[in-house]
Amino acid sequence: MIRSRRFAFTALATAVLSATALAEAPAQVSPQGDAANGKQIYLRDACFTCHGRSGQGGVYRGPAPILARTALPFDGFRELLRDPPGDMPAYSEAVLSDKDIADIYAFLDSLPGPRSPKDIRVLNN
Amino acid sequence: MSKHRWPKASRRNFLKGAGFVGAAAAVTPSVVANAMPAAQSEKLIAAPPGPRQIAAETMPPPHDPVNQTSSGGDFMTDVLNSLGIEYMAINCASSYRGLHEAIINHGDNKPEIITCVHEDIAAHMAQGYAKIEGKPLAMACHGTVGLQHAVMAMYNAWCDRVPIIVFGGNIMEADKRAPGAEWVHSAVDIGQLVRDFTKWDDQPASLQHFAESTARAYKIATTPPMGPVFIALDAELQENPLSNAESLRIPKFEQVIPPQGDSAALGEAAKMLVEAQNPLIVCDRVARTPTGMAHLVDLAETLQCGVIDYAGRMNFPSRHPLNQSFNRTLIGQADVILAIEMNDLWGAVNSFSDRIARQSRPATKPGAKIITLGVRDLYLKSNYQDFGRWQDVDLDIAGDGEASLPLLTEAAKQLMDDGRKAVYAARGKKLAAAHLAMVERSKTNATIGWDASPITTARVCAEVYDQIKDEDWSLVGTTIGLSWPHRLWDFRKRYQWNGVSGGGGVGYNLPASLGAALANKKHSRFTVAFGGDGDFMYNPGTLWTAAHHKIPILYIVQNNRAYHQEYMYLTAMAVRHGRGVDRMDIGTTLREPNIDYATVARGMGVHGEGPITEPNDLGPALARAVAVVKSGEPAVVDIVTDPR
Repeated sequence: MIRSRRFAFTALATAVLSATALAEAPAQVSPQGDAANGKQIYLRDACFTCHGRSGQGGVYRGPAPILARTALPFDGFRELLRDPPGDMPAYSEAVLSDKDIADIYAFLDSLPGPRSPKDIRVLNN
Repeated sequence: MSKHRWPKASRRNFLKGAGFVGAAAAVTPSVVANAMPAAQSEKLIAAPPGPRQIAAETMPPPHDPVNQTSSGGDFMTDVLNSLGIEYMAINCASSYRGLHEAIINHGDNKPEIITCVHEDIAAHMAQGYAKIEGKPLAMACHGTVGLQHAVMAMYNAWCDRVPIIVFGGNIMEADKRAPGAEWVHSAVDIGQLVRDFTKWDDQPASLQHFAESTARAYKIATTPPMGPVFIALDAELQENPLSNAESLRIPKFEQVIPPQGDSAALGEAAKMLVEAQNPLIVCDRVARTPTGMAHLVDLAETLQCGVIDYAGRMNFPSRHPLNQSFNRTLIGQADVILAIEMNDLWGAVNSFSDRIARQSRPATKPGAKIITLGVRDLYLKSNYQDFGRWQDVDLDIAGDGEASLPLLTEAAKQLMDDGRKAVYAARGKKLAAAHLAMVERSKTNATIGWDASPITTARVCAEVYDQIKDEDWSLVGTTIGLSWPHRLWDFRKRYQWNGVSGGGGVGYNLPASLGAALANKKHSRFTVAFGGDGDFMYNPGTLWTAAHHKIPILYIVQNNRAYHQEYMYLTAMAVRHGRGVDRMDIGTTLREPNIDYATVARGMGVHGEGPITEPNDLGPALARAVAVVKSGEPAVVDIVTDPR
């Protein structure tokens, strides 16, 4: 829904590219996180508002990347939250602890992510 | 009627009667004298009354005429019909009752009256209609209390560069106003309220003045850069008999031919584009007519260059291989950028971060040349800042984009040679591959959360398209940032898209979509629109108009139960301040209770489906709604969705 200083159809183009960039990063060992708690934090602290409840990505002022099954290493993910580029707000320790971030990371890793569109009839029109 | 209101009559006769009595008292000293004590009266030397005074004292007041066989409104109606105005969207109001009655009876309801329950609805309908039909409808309201309701829609139309013609009733002569409402419904300068965001306004003082000003208003509104205009309607002019019918003349109207850019400048632009390694076209509101899109396709194919469409209008086919609207990294790769009818060029070629310092930097590569073509900046006003930030350019061509494109393309073709054609073909092939990859990537990304509840917006858009793809569809409304239709659907006709609000004024989407549906109705097109739940609640009464006038439209409520853009903005504030991120639903959400939009729709006489919360229920609900729309009726489908 819809009230905005910058609205509608601007700056959507890099969404897919941003998502791809995240997905192509090399996998690294990540700390053990609590996915169930991560889900609660993801919803409570409004991560879902830009990135979707399924981590499917979305739009804030510009594109908000896909996070489901992110291939970003944990350190990179945490850095992205602490000092993000563009319009993404920077989450300090006061808002999200490293433990919270690890739990969110575990939650995102537990999401199913994309599947083949060929299996979905209405995506093949 | 009370004997105190004699002579019988209307509100104005009542005033005249009162005035007459007052005047009579002023010129009858004998009456005054008779009321004085005898001692005083003996000292007065009063002249005997003359014949006029005697008559005033002894004769009844003249009887006002109570019937008439013509009205100024009749002539006004003829003027409106001479301009081909098909509809007048109104919320009825006494200050233009003369015109209203004349349209119904003298004009046999032509222009056809569209009854709206709020002036904001009527004016937004005008905006949506004009963008599909390519010409304005008229909107009428009280000049004071009605116009103040219509203002938001007029501002949206101004920012969107859409022609709408607004009439506002007024009573210019103070002595003709009845006590009470007619005084608070009158103003010296009604147009002042909207002058900052209309191209032109007038308050005609005669019927001939009305005719010429209305023709002028129509011409100004529909000449690029287009925009809203306002005409004040004096009640006396509308209501009173024609006293000079034989001298009235309906103006001969000829549409202005939009100006083409200077041919030498277009030739220079063609040379720059032809010689560029990576030319790029960016555009926003180019296509005014069905030929506009074809002209843009011709130029892009001639150059084999990418097109980034900011989608203010239906400018470029979504599945065209050169459509690179979702690949804006091309802006940083281009050496020559042709910007056609861009609304916010600076925003397109610069990056800007909504952070504490609010820094910006060019998104273009060093040395990139920018050519502009358009009329956007030929009519600006100073107060409202809809013109955006200044952008340095290298060649600035004033001319209507659509009208100038054939000259530009022809100039480019003249400069082509076989060597260039081979390079261009390779460039086009690369862009086509990128476009195809974008489509496939979009389909893959759309699968994420496919079975989730709340339903993803990607699934909603895919399911809707599956239901309407074989119809002659027209998508006329959207929600903020909803890019899935343009990523997944095959847009190829001008009426398949009509842009967004322009001014970002909430409450646009539902009524503007209905206005577009009104335009589509006579062409038997299938109208579909997405809209947010917050937008819906500004003007839910729009649905009554849809039902009353049987305007078919499939309206999808993207119900995320929030003013979601604000929810995100507020979250960004809390995160920046390091506090209270978990409380951002306060003041931004529409819960407790949840709103049942299908029930609201049914209450207005519109078919309602939902709330749909499970994705597997979506297809059948949409199918039922589509059947209703195909039968000529409106339908609302309330879908509980993920935010974006």
